[in-house]
Amino acid sequence: MFKIYLLLYLSCLCLVTSAQSLYKISGQVRNEQGDPVNAASILIKENLRGTQTDTMGRFVIDKLKPGNYTLIISALGYEKHFMQVAIEGASVGNIHIRLKTSAQNLKEVSVLGKQESHDNLIDLTRTPMPSTVITRKQIEMMGSRRLDEVLKEQTGLAIVNDIGSGARAVGLQLQGFDSGYTMIMIDGQPMTGRNSGNFDLSRITVANIERIEIIKGASSCLFGSEALAGVVNIVTRQNISQSQGLASLRYGSFNTFDATLEGETPFAKGKGSGYISGNYYRTDGFNANPYLSEGKTAPPYDSYTIQGRGRYTLSPMNALNVTGRYAVRNSVNQTAYSTTPSRDVLVEKDLNASAILNTNFSTGLRLKTQYYLTRYATDQNITNLADDQVIPTNNFVQYLHRGELQASQTFWGSMVLTGGTGIQYETMNNNLYSGVKSQSTAFAYAQADWKLSDELGLTGGVRGEHHSRYGSSLNPSFGVKYQPIKALTLKAAIATGFKTPDFRQLYLNFTNLAGGGYTVLGTDVFAAELQKLKDAGQIATVFANATKVSTLKPERSVAYSAGFTLQITPAIKADVNGFYNDVRNFINTDQVATKNGGQQIFSYFNIDRAFLTGADVGLSFRVTKGFNISAGYQLLYAKDRGVIDSIKAGTGNYAQVYDTDTRQVRRSKVSDYFGLTNRSRHMANVKFTYEYEPKGITGTFRVNYRGKYGFQEANLSNQFLDPYDTYVSSFFLLNASVQKKLMNNHFSVQLTADNIMNYRDQLMPGQSGRTVMLGLNYRFFKQQ
Amino acid sequence: MKLISTYKNHYQKLLIAMAVVAAFSSCTKEQVKPQLEDGSSTVVTDLPGDVGSTINTGFKTFYFSFATNGKVDSSAKKSTSWDISFAREYNSYIGINNGTNEGSYGFGGPGKGAIVSINQTYDDVKEAPSDADFQSKGVTSVGWDPGNGLGWYFYDLKTHIAVPVKGRTYVLRTADGKYAKLELVSMYKGAPAVVTDLNWPSPYFTFRYYVQQDGSRNLSTKN
Repeated sequence: MFKIYLLLYLSCLCLVTSAQSLYKISGQVRNEQGDPVNAASILIKENLRGTQTDTMGRFVIDKLKPGNYTLIISALGYEKHFMQVAIEGASVGNIHIRLKTSAQNLKEVSVLGKQESHDNLIDLTRTPMPSTVITRKQIEMMGSRRLDEVLKEQTGLAIVNDIGSGARAVGLQLQGFDSGYTMIMIDGQPMTGRNSGNFDLSRITVANIERIEIIKGASSCLFGSEALAGVVNIVTRQNISQSQGLASLRYGSFNTFDATLEGETPFAKGKGSGYISGNYYRTDGFNANPYLSEGKTAPPYDSYTIQGRGRYTLSPMNALNVTGRYAVRNSVNQTAYSTTPSRDVLVEKDLNASAILNTNFSTGLRLKTQYYLTRYATDQNITNLADDQVIPTNNFVQYLHRGELQASQTFWGSMVLTGGTGIQYETMNNNLYSGVKSQSTAFAYAQADWKLSDELGLTGGVRGEHHSRYGSSLNPSFGVKYQPIKALTLKAAIATGFKTPDFRQLYLNFTNLAGGGYTVLGTDVFAAELQKLKDAGQIATVFANATKVSTLKPERSVAYSAGFTLQITPAIKADVNGFYNDVRNFINTDQVATKNGGQQIFSYFNIDRAFLTGADVGLSFRVTKGFNISAGYQLLYAKDRGVIDSIKAGTGNYAQVYDTDTRQVRRSKVSDYFGLTNRSRHMANVKFTYEYEPKGITGTFRVNYRGKYGFQEANLSNQFLDPYDTYVSSFFLLNASVQKKLMNNHFSVQLTADNIMNYRDQLMPGQSGRTVMLGLNYRFFKQQ
Repeated sequence: MKLISTYKNHYQKLLIAMAVVAAFSSCTKEQVKPQLEDGSSTVVTDLPGDVGSTINTGFKTFYFSFATNGKVDSSAKKSTSWDISFAREYNSYIGINNGTNEGSYGFGGPGKGAIVSINQTYDDVKEAPSDADFQSKGVTSVGWDPGNGLGWYFYDLKTHIAVPVKGRTYVLRTADGKYAKLELVSMYKGAPAVVTDLNWPSPYFTFRYYVQQDGSRNLSTKN
């Protein structure tokens, strides 16, 4: 394994080669107001050489032979601009380019030129699997406050409660995968802190998020374990060109209060820049359960977040970048069912920090050297106020350290090679495990994005990883893009994903005294703990599979994706993509023994082979200038092959179904199997966005639909969801927002309404009722 | 002009579509509980067990009489004053009062109790089985169903919530030899149609029963 890293490192160094410059083209890019446009992409059509503008909007492309060139200038939020330049024996300087602001679409925007990231040289939109970018502007137009609110409106994404892991276990489902399979990153580095695999995204404020990048599909080839289903990358504010500040206040339903104060400025004559942002958020929470006499199903909380970045240019080549984020969340939820209440208290602390050295060689080679640290600490305990008995629920401290070296170089103007290598060390101190547990990983990866011609592009990547426990693994990926005619782009990709067992699956020793008395044992502690229970005379039966509890293997998947983008008319675009995920060694709990009282003892097995397949469709329609309609739809089949086999074979309980219509038990059929719980077969959304620039008015109206999904078994235990089990009914959620800018864009007022029709369901504990918020924003900046 | 009229048309369609969506999204989903009252059966709601205990501390057994529709003190264990016992984990094991059955809390007493599990809905059970059936299919107590078709609830593997088995009714011989039928509905407070919280208070028992007072096997409760 070490050899691979060495090789990669050497190849990075070899990229630093020198070349003679011939002629150059230079100039400056400004917008309609005359302000410089930062990070605009400049691409020469003829040889695909490119660069990006700096904070002053300036750019230079050198080493050009004489000839006629077409410059393609693009930037986020602006219309693409073309310009002819002829080089006839002299460099061409002082080209002035004016970009027009583009009317944007609130759905996914595919971006050619985009903001340069200092934290991550990998362009997430250029990986083989389909990706989506949600921009700052879209988030602002929606008026969202927390990350979960933004993501649940995206096609194929859902926020779901994991009832079996307690009232606070909420996570993101992506293409039918549970939350545990999607890596959540901040500026390209993993965030930690999960509750039984569930990453509660409501702990993250969207204040100061510049954009959100989502990859749907296995991305372990770049990001390693945990990115089996995909990646959500939060990109914080990157480029600072002028001094400005923002004060924002929002208040509304359920005493929800959201306040943000942020400021940014360049300093030392533009050599340095920095920003700092503080956010306070609180909510009374929401109760969707009519049986609760006190308390909430979406718990109340308050949260403080401070976030910042400092950047200093050390030399023309080197820049130092320091980023940090610290968030605290407190939540007290006292619940009662006309009984003596119990009090559920959560204190959560979340730290992310990075020091990054960016080195840009004149040859075009970019290097990033980074140290990243994240610490997540949670204390959650439930106290029964009848007898002050404390039931420890979720108490742990998790650290992750990572050192990473990344390099990127463009060859022949058409191939971008990005690679990296690093080591990671992770520790976990959980009171449900015996002692502090740790694991380390060394990794190296590379991705080549090669545009062979105007029509054909290839992307290939591979990641090698060596895990302190699971040894080495190699994850390749490959994608192809073909554009036979201008209006049509065909895409196909295949990638592998893997996920090493988490600490919980290895070391957990948990008996839920409050909720039924079942016990879950990690595979490492299983034998010893089962023996203890046996010695105490608590075990009634030990199942045959108990002997099979042994070392868990990492979960693996192969993801296939294929689709096309069709520009039907200049105003109408369609995106169709089919996906198929074949998952093996799927880790699931299975019952291994029964205690005297019938309570189950579970452990973890690589038992399941599952498939998650379907399609997603996106349509966008620009009706008139400023008025856009977009729609998204996802079809999903998520099934466990083991269940299908067991139904076919008529194994045990799987053989029977209780038909509530005939009130009879009958033999089960494969068609009775609906699929994994919590997954909707159909999900859809329609978004209307309107922007009238002269008056500074924007508005959105969004409809989100979720088809019915399985909640749990009912009637008779047959270990799969049959048509007679408990389902959450399909529903529509309606959201709207309207914003008006005043005082030369300094001041803005926004009114948002989420869940306008106040749709509630006891089976969706985390879904709030109608939330109306009024927001006031004031921006401090120098008037041009 | 034509263009404008088609746009108008589109907007009209759009409005209709929005109205349909609004109609769909306006109502709040209610989880409907089954109707338990049938005019002849006795319905017991939220009978508290040994609330506040945990698996570690254990649960104190309690006794219930059909005749008085209430709890009976444990000192009267060896008498016919109670018909069913609620024992073990979450008091969820429903036992009989039988003087000759070693597993019964009434062992050594005068109780004649017996219980059989019938895979029929409560309404559909119209007659008690024969004495021979009580003899051959009878059990001492019913609780968690490990798949043997006798218990009254199972644990969902994902949510860890105890879910009652549908279409399963218990026919009993009471302590003094009358025939009765019993349906166990829930062990959670309020007997919700669906339990949506891992920490939903329990044990609180909701069940209904019917005792044929004339000594016959007729257990019909619906006309």
